Amino acid sequence: MLTNSIHLISGHLLFKIATGLYGLSLIHGAFFGPTRRMLVFLLPALLANALVVAWRYWVAWPMLPMYMGPVVLPLILGGMALGARHQWAGRTQNGILTLVVIIALGAVLFPKDYYIPFLKSQTAWAHLFFWLGVAGRGCFLVAAIQAMAGLRKKNGRPAFSRSVPWIAWGFAFWTLSMFTGELWSYVGWGTPVVWDDPAITTTMATWFFYVGLLHLHLTGSWTARGRCAFTAVGGLMVLGLTYAPELGPFRWPLG
Amino acid sequence: MNGLIKIVWKQLGGIHLTVILCLFLVIDLTIGYICLNRHTILFAPLNDVGLMAWIRTYGRTNLARTAWFFALLLLLTLLCINTFVCTTDRVAVLIARRSHIARQHFVFKFAPHIMHYAMIVILVGYLCSYLFAEVLVSRTLIPGMPFRLPGSDIHITLVELDPLYYPGSRLPAFENRVLQPRARLRVVEGDRQRTATLNINHPLRCHGYSLFLKDFTPKRKEGGMNRSVRIDLTVRKDPGVPLYLAGIVLFSVGLALYLAEWVVLRNLRFKPIVATKGET
Repeated sequence: MLTNSIHLISGHLLFKIATGLYGLSLIHGAFFGPTRRMLVFLLPALLANALVVAWRYWVAWPMLPMYMGPVVLPLILGGMALGARHQWAGRTQNGILTLVVIIALGAVLFPKDYYIPFLKSQTAWAHLFFWLGVAGRGCFLVAAIQAMAGLRKKNGRPAFSRSVPWIAWGFAFWTLSMFTGELWSYVGWGTPVVWDDPAITTTMATWFFYVGLLHLHLTGSWTARGRCAFTAVGGLMVLGLTYAPELGPFRWPLG
Repeated sequence: MNGLIKIVWKQLGGIHLTVILCLFLVIDLTIGYICLNRHTILFAPLNDVGLMAWIRTYGRTNLARTAWFFALLLLLTLLCINTFVCTTDRVAVLIARRSHIARQHFVFKFAPHIMHYAMIVILVGYLCSYLFAEVLVSRTLIPGMPFRLPGSDIHITLVELDPLYYPGSRLPAFENRVLQPRARLRVVEGDRQRTATLNINHPLRCHGYSLFLKDFTPKRKEGGMNRSVRIDLTVRKDPGVPLYLAGIVLFSVGLALYLAEWVVLRNLRFKPIVATKGET
């Protein structure tokens, strides 16, 4: 019933509404800080975003909807912003919301959801691969925002310490996503890596980047600011290598 | 000579080398993305023909577009050596110090090393898969025509398709389309006979071979261009699969132990990890 109603008003329109509400919560946060009133915008934004995700799943089920990352990532990051609002400084909160708005705007202006799902995505491995991957990306991006705060300070150690758990959890989710992707690849195609899909290289590149970062952390040879810079670059890399390829050609949002 | 070996061993196991190799891998794979995106057709045969055959054909004749792949092989080999040396050194130290570490924490101390060894097992599994897998690409089965598995007296015959259709009309492009073809097969091995179902994402294992459903017809409930029943199979005998599956399980166990130690023991501030000799 609910999903039918969404069908009528169009998932695209609902996602535009969610993006607008994310924008309003960001504006509110920028002017008044992360107060309780910000939730007036953030909660409906998350609800609208969740409905769009549920609608796209309902349409494609039991297959995996295509190019869902740019639509799910704002939901994951927005949820993190909501859940950790008491622990994070206002600047971090606003940094996350800025990222949410940029990612959501990208999905509105450059949609790639016109691809129909494919039969081989009807397996739990495919769904796990996707959700664990998005969770990993969300953690890496939060770590990058925390690290950016450290770059603005003389002593970046506290900021880097705050970003380490996010890097560790992001690495865990990303690794498990890769493993479930390999299992999907095996049951679907019989090979551990499907070389028809260029995304395999960006997935591996991201994994090796964070393996390097975690080992760099262990050496203790870089300063905290250096490690913050490395983590911030990681965030840009996640956006460039795993988010940008999921965007399509430009589409005028009022068209 | 011994001194030289020790120096080389130490250099190979350096953690800085790990970081440098990882960064080179990131650069190489980013270049790889561009090459793979523009020339997918060059790399797709890697799924089927095996590494050596691919190198002799596509790889060598298109070096400008495939060089990143050769660099990837080299970097992964170096990373495996680096990981093995570094981890072995640390495991040796850990074992030597086992009497100083509380028994309940000893297993957690192994977690990162389990992950490191598991990565090597996974990469070796991949290598075995690409070097030694026997692949029969696109074997077509029609009802009643048996297919013999190579090197065995096993005959496989397609009996029928029992298709499951996309329910409802949520996705107009999928209306009346087959979601799961569910091919019923008769497997005859000497005097014994059994039936088995082959489906998308559900390979059939038989006598060391795995059969994967590649394509099928008909794809729609009614009408369509082709009503004849047919399935296309990829038949593989891949010795790398058990290795990389074991590696995945091993890595996951190591990761779970590492996170358990990190979350439970560090965050909840349990007893210190290093205990005195008397406590153990």
